[in-house]
Amino acid sequence: MNPKKPNWQLWGGFVLSLTALPVYFALVTTTRSVFWLSVALFAAALVLLISGLWRAYGQAETYRGKIAGPILTVCLALMMGIFGLSAWVVSKAFPAARNAPQPGQKAPEFVLADSAGQQVSMAQLLSSPITDASGAAKPVKGLLVVFYRGYW
Amino acid sequence: MAISADTSEESRGLCERAGLTFPILSDDKAETIRHYDLLLPGSGEKGRDISGAAEFLLDSSGTVRWRKMAEGSTEQFLEAAKKLN
Repeated sequence: MNPKKPNWQLWGGFVLSLTALPVYFALVTTTRSVFWLSVALFAAALVLLISGLWRAYGQAETYRGKIAGPILTVCLALMMGIFGLSAWVVSKAFPAARNAPQPGQKAPEFVLADSAGQQVSMAQLLSSPITDASGAAKPVKGLLVVFYRGYW
Repeated sequence: MAISADTSEESRGLCERAGLTFPILSDDKAETIRHYDLLLPGSGEKGRDISGAAEFLLDSSGTVRWRKMAEGSTEQFLEAAKKLN
């Protein structure tokens, strides 16, 4: 009786799936599109794994993997679960902000209340001269607008 | 200057505690936050809408010259993850 062949599709799929999470965590702070790269890696891994499972059970005399198959499938499912949860946390915590103004564009105007309840406009902040240490009034060169999550 | 969805009272507390001298503005209806496409619906305490973190450097004509969007650091990611309940 011939020895059973190793089930490279099963193991190849699993090894490929191991790359998806590290790639996501390494690049998500650089570009959100890495989400799709990880999805593609998981999809390819899943295709290989399913093909490997079919061989392990459908051609059980030829291929190994009846025990490894279910174990690797559970591991893949766990990794996909972690990925899904991580992607959800990222989407809740960091806005995609595709329409936020880019360098070269005019910033949207605003008129908002300061901490004393006084209305302050962007135009005011850009045009009111500031006083330097010697008491001389200087024109405003620019304005740094910082959006923050809030203090609570 | 800084903007958040906090009310003027909440911002005043922050100013006093941190000794801030620059203007802290309140966008409690999140309208300006929406104009800058930074809204995080329901992500604040008690499900409040809040702003994502971002910085815009404007020149004297109000044109954006530089910006830093919060794709986020690992530390911020972990902090956000810890706040989930």
